[in-house]
Amino acid sequence: MKMTKIYEGAYQWIMYGRDPYKPDNIIDTNQYVVRTDKRCLLIDPGGIELFAPMLAAVLHHAPVDEITDLFASHQDPDIISSLGLWDQALPHAKLHAAGLWEGFLRHFGCESIQYVPIPDNGGVINLGSVELQIVPAHYLHSSANFNIYDPQAKILFSGDIGAALEAPGQPVFVENFDAHVEKMRFFHQRWMPSNQAKRAWIDRVRSLDIEILAPQHGRMFKGDDVKRFLDWFEALQVGIAV
Amino acid sequence: MRMSSNKSQFVAVASIAAELSAVMEVAKEISLAAANAKAIAFRAGEKAKGFQPITDFINELAKETIELVNNINEHALKLYRLTVKEHRMSEACKRFEKVAVSASSAPYAGSLTQSLQQARQRRTDCRRQFSLHVSELLAQLADVMHPARAARVIAANSRIEASQAGEYLQSLQAVAESVDHAAQIIHDKVHKCRSALTMISTGD
Repeated sequence: MKMTKIYEGAYQWIMYGRDPYKPDNIIDTNQYVVRTDKRCLLIDPGGIELFAPMLAAVLHHAPVDEITDLFASHQDPDIISSLGLWDQALPHAKLHAAGLWEGFLRHFGCESIQYVPIPDNGGVINLGSVELQIVPAHYLHSSANFNIYDPQAKILFSGDIGAALEAPGQPVFVENFDAHVEKMRFFHQRWMPSNQAKRAWIDRVRSLDIEILAPQHGRMFKGDDVKRFLDWFEALQVGIAV
Repeated sequence: MRMSSNKSQFVAVASIAAELSAVMEVAKEISLAAANAKAIAFRAGEKAKGFQPITDFINELAKETIELVNNINEHALKLYRLTVKEHRMSEACKRFEKVAVSASSAPYAGSLTQSLQQARQRRTDCRRQFSLHVSELLAQLADVMHPARAARVIAANSRIEASQAGEYLQSLQAVAESVDHAAQIIHDKVHKCRSALTMISTGD
């Protein structure tokens, strides 16, 4: 699995993805880790198929007992169907996920890990030396859906917002925004159901200082491409299936 | 005993639950037949005097079967949960072992050892509990066979008593036949459950 450090300060943000051994018929995903001196947060740790390569990759940066927190942006299997396995590996960890999805996510197996329900208006994840903001992104695409914003690193983990469907092994950052647009269009039009929710999210996110917008599929946006993405998304009509 | 967590085991445990549900239905039918027989025997009066206490026996047997099956159902449910748990533990062990190999060069690879050992221990505990529950379930299923056998004896007696009931002969004989048939079904279904359980426990 490819590991890319996207922020390095008093703590680190690491992106994991482009697993060459991933079965062809499952969607490629990006996982993110925030590593502080004593703790480690896994953001959208992935599906069952990804558990072993993901844990093996994380062990390059943190021991098992310092993986203290998991975050699930929503309830989809590619986000968190590995929960039952993390539950065996990390008996003392916490899972931060929507309160609305608790009864659903527990189907994946969550007996040892503590489920910390996130209310609809979001909250924070305190990792001791770092505090991350949980930003509501409901209906984009899931009905209870959250992003993570790190004001210090200026990174917004945006879940499925900004995702692209493309061939395996692509670069991790967008290099030519105009060329990238077509890889995002259908995904956003078909998976995102609400223009109203989209506008509310854009208004909220425009007030944040973002250097990197990091989605769960496809490539990350850096610098001016973040603004380009917000402008493009704002103009896009979504919810096209009805 | 050996337990292997695989598809056939899930199917076997689920099929036991299905057979038990059918046994419950048949036991309820016996209970209805007993109520029906009681009404006929009451109408027949003196002619079916010997039949009256038999109807009470039939009813008691039906009740006993229903109670036993209720208990067994709880056990079967526990068995199913253990199957799911064992499957999860086995999957965890398998994936942890994979991580241990692929991350052997990672600086923190050794930190997984405790999780792997604990998962193996939990898997062993699950298997032990499963074996224990299978033995208990087999014993309980043997208990259900007793009322079923008794019901067949009572059915035979019922036929004799029915033969002296004059114009009620046919009605009472039908009751006896229905009890006999129901008891046979229970016997067969319980036998199937036992076979399925024995197969799981020997890992065939």
